[in-house]
Amino acid sequence: MNDPFKIFGVARRFDIDLVEFAKIHRVLSRALHPDKYAQAGASERRAALEKAASVNEAWRVLRSPVRRAEALFALAGVAVGENHEPKPGVEFLMEMLEEREALAEARAAKDLAKVRALGSAMAARLAETEAKLASGFAKSFAPTGPTGPEPAAAELAMVVPFLGQLRFYTRFLDEVSLIEEEND
Amino acid sequence: MLLDIFDPKAPPRAIGIDLGTTNSLVAYVKNECPTVIADCHQTSLLPSAVHYGDRGDVVVGADALLRAAAHPRDTIVSVKRFMGRGADDPETRRLAPYAFVAPKAGDANVVRFGVAGRVVTPVEVSAEILRALKRLAEDELRSLGGAVITVPAYFDDAQRQATRDAGRLAGLEVLRLINEPTAAALAYGLEKKQNGLFAVYDLGGGTFDVTILVLDNGVFQVKSTGGDSALGGDDMDAILAEELFALAHRDARAATPSEVRVVLDVARRVKHGLTTAPEVEIDNPLGSVPATMLFTRARFDELVRPLLARTGTACKRALRDAETKAESLDGVILVGGSTRVPAVRAFVEQLFGKAPLADIDPDQVVALGAAIQANVLSGAGNPDDVLLLDVTPLSLGIEVGGGVVDRVLPRNTTTPAAARAAYTTQEDNQTGFEIHVVQGERELAADCRSLARFTLRGIPPMAAGLARLEVTFRVDADGLLSVHAREERTGIEQAVDVKPSYGLDDDTVEQMLIDAIDHGEADLDARRLAEARVEAHRIGRSTQKSVDDDPSLLFEGERERIAFALAHLEQAATGADPRTIQLRIDDLDTATKSFAERRMNRAIAMAIEGQRLDQVERTVEHAKGIEAAHGSPLPPPAPDDALASFANHPKPEVER
Repeated sequence: MNDPFKIFGVARRFDIDLVEFAKIHRVLSRALHPDKYAQAGASERRAALEKAASVNEAWRVLRSPVRRAEALFALAGVAVGENHEPKPGVEFLMEMLEEREALAEARAAKDLAKVRALGSAMAARLAETEAKLASGFAKSFAPTGPTGPEPAAAELAMVVPFLGQLRFYTRFLDEVSLIEEEND
Repeated sequence: MLLDIFDPKAPPRAIGIDLGTTNSLVAYVKNECPTVIADCHQTSLLPSAVHYGDRGDVVVGADALLRAAAHPRDTIVSVKRFMGRGADDPETRRLAPYAFVAPKAGDANVVRFGVAGRVVTPVEVSAEILRALKRLAEDELRSLGGAVITVPAYFDDAQRQATRDAGRLAGLEVLRLINEPTAAALAYGLEKKQNGLFAVYDLGGGTFDVTILVLDNGVFQVKSTGGDSALGGDDMDAILAEELFALAHRDARAATPSEVRVVLDVARRVKHGLTTAPEVEIDNPLGSVPATMLFTRARFDELVRPLLARTGTACKRALRDAETKAESLDGVILVGGSTRVPAVRAFVEQLFGKAPLADIDPDQVVALGAAIQANVLSGAGNPDDVLLLDVTPLSLGIEVGGGVVDRVLPRNTTTPAAARAAYTTQEDNQTGFEIHVVQGERELAADCRSLARFTLRGIPPMAAGLARLEVTFRVDADGLLSVHAREERTGIEQAVDVKPSYGLDDDTVEQMLIDAIDHGEADLDARRLAEARVEAHRIGRSTQKSVDDDPSLLFEGERERIAFALAHLEQAATGADPRTIQLRIDDLDTATKSFAERRMNRAIAMAIEGQRLDQVERTVEHAKGIEAAHGSPLPPPAPDDALASFANHPKPEVER
């Protein structure tokens, strides 16, 4: 995988300033977009196309908290994804199941206020989880360089479960905005 | 000094073409001002109608429309609705007077019209319209450069590919396909010089698009797009036509092709009339009772409401995809002839909560934007003034177990885009992978649009789950997809340019090009040679410029190798064989490959460096403010190996 942080010329971290990153994306796009090389030779056109695509890919990863976290784990050598992450606890699963049921009920009843309330509660939990991930990554990607591969990986493994939570919360919020849209 | 083989009397000019459902037009940038090209009657709108005569003659435009009533089957209007569609597409079952021909076994699965004793595909019909526009432009400009052709943002891969094929068939050098709403925004943005967040609501004759985009000092960044590539003014006409048949107590399905054509035309005139008048009375075009019919705007508004509701759903989804709300928009731009309908304007105003902008002619704005982009791409304009960052309109994915779609590139991904996905075998000793590429938002592949199927063969037998197949999707700046698959353990590779499911393959388009000669086209070889020479000239000049600009990036001996390849290309271009020219172009390509990459890496490093200086300046400004307040300056941020970004290449050993 290409390192999206390297492509953007920034240090690896989870809590990023999206406005600043959007600016970097635009600056890189201006420098690389195939439109700028429309009159160039085939090799330059191809190189520009490839680099522009990798810049866009990096931006797609960086702007999404879930994909950004996945990339940071991968870069630190911590395997994540379906078969590598610990299964979430039963307690957490039950809780999510209840939240989903509440959402489904509110949707069926067209109770938009309830849908919004469930959404903002979930958004708060999401923010909390993002903060935990940010501090976990900050420790392993300290600006002075990682503290050595092993302790960093061990420490990072502790925050892997937060990634699973992040996915749950994100999916829940996607559904909330979908319901808001259909009731608009 | 290089490749001065041409002495063109007039400099070639690039053109922008709006290939519309109802009307098409062509524009170019004249003295820095985008201008539409008019014919000798001072009309710039060319009706997108093509009539095929008994003696093999082809008539395009208003003259074709005149023949439509007498020859409904031989006169194709609204051909755009059939681009990139399969022979059995629902579109072929709408109210229309055509004779569709089923493809013969082995033929590509595309729509075919039976016209005046021959069979033509939508690509060929569209090519006739493009040829007419090309002639119009040639009369005005003498020498044509390349062309930018616009397509609905919501066009899928097959529809885009078909449009590109039509351009090629018409003898145009297609510089780029750009999305119609983005082209419109370009024309607006440059005229108004306004930054902000905009929605473009584009309701044309046959297609609907909505695009949410940010304008920021010449960068047009599309946030999201949505729409329906089979929804437009034609559908309003069809609804009115059905109403007319009902009022005349006639079954529309039992009507003759001529009656259908006449009633559709009357319906369109009624629609136009209702734009300014509250009611329109007409004579019954079917000649039966009642003798006259009255259509009111209120009834028309009621009839088109379901169509408008469909556009509303797409708009809401686009806003959600852009992670914004209607209140945050700085403006709404109206594009397309159908936005003249009062009910459409009222609907848009209510939907977005603000009065829409329509001060550039909604029929012309797309072509004007295309002309601006053509000018930039041809090197005549300043590429730093304008940059379009567009997105993929539909998700791209692969069918996996159980017919479910695995999404590889989600919709609204900025192009050019690339994404990879990894898969494995499901059975022991499986030696091939069947890959089915689909486009769309539905969960099941069967509900999405099939783009292509291909098989990766020759994988050595191994246990299920051991093989590792990596599939890479690439979408270029035209929005066209290419797919690459590779089995990681064996290194077996396969690249496919997505095309087959509902398109013509390269050989078919090639054959059509050859056939075109019989129909009075200029000699194909001469055309090929001229095209190859133009390409050689352009590449030669641009390569020389790169070498002159960046001598410090050249490795030892590289300059000589490139000079050698350039000299050979120059020599080939004076010859008469387009194939040799192409071979020399390929050689030059090989000779410049790694130099080109180094140049690109440098461009990235410089862009990031520029951005950083900018940021440091702002931080220093900020720090000064803090210093003034607290007396303690902040250090500028010091990210780690930022400049090393792509620099995993060896440093040049020798400078110059």
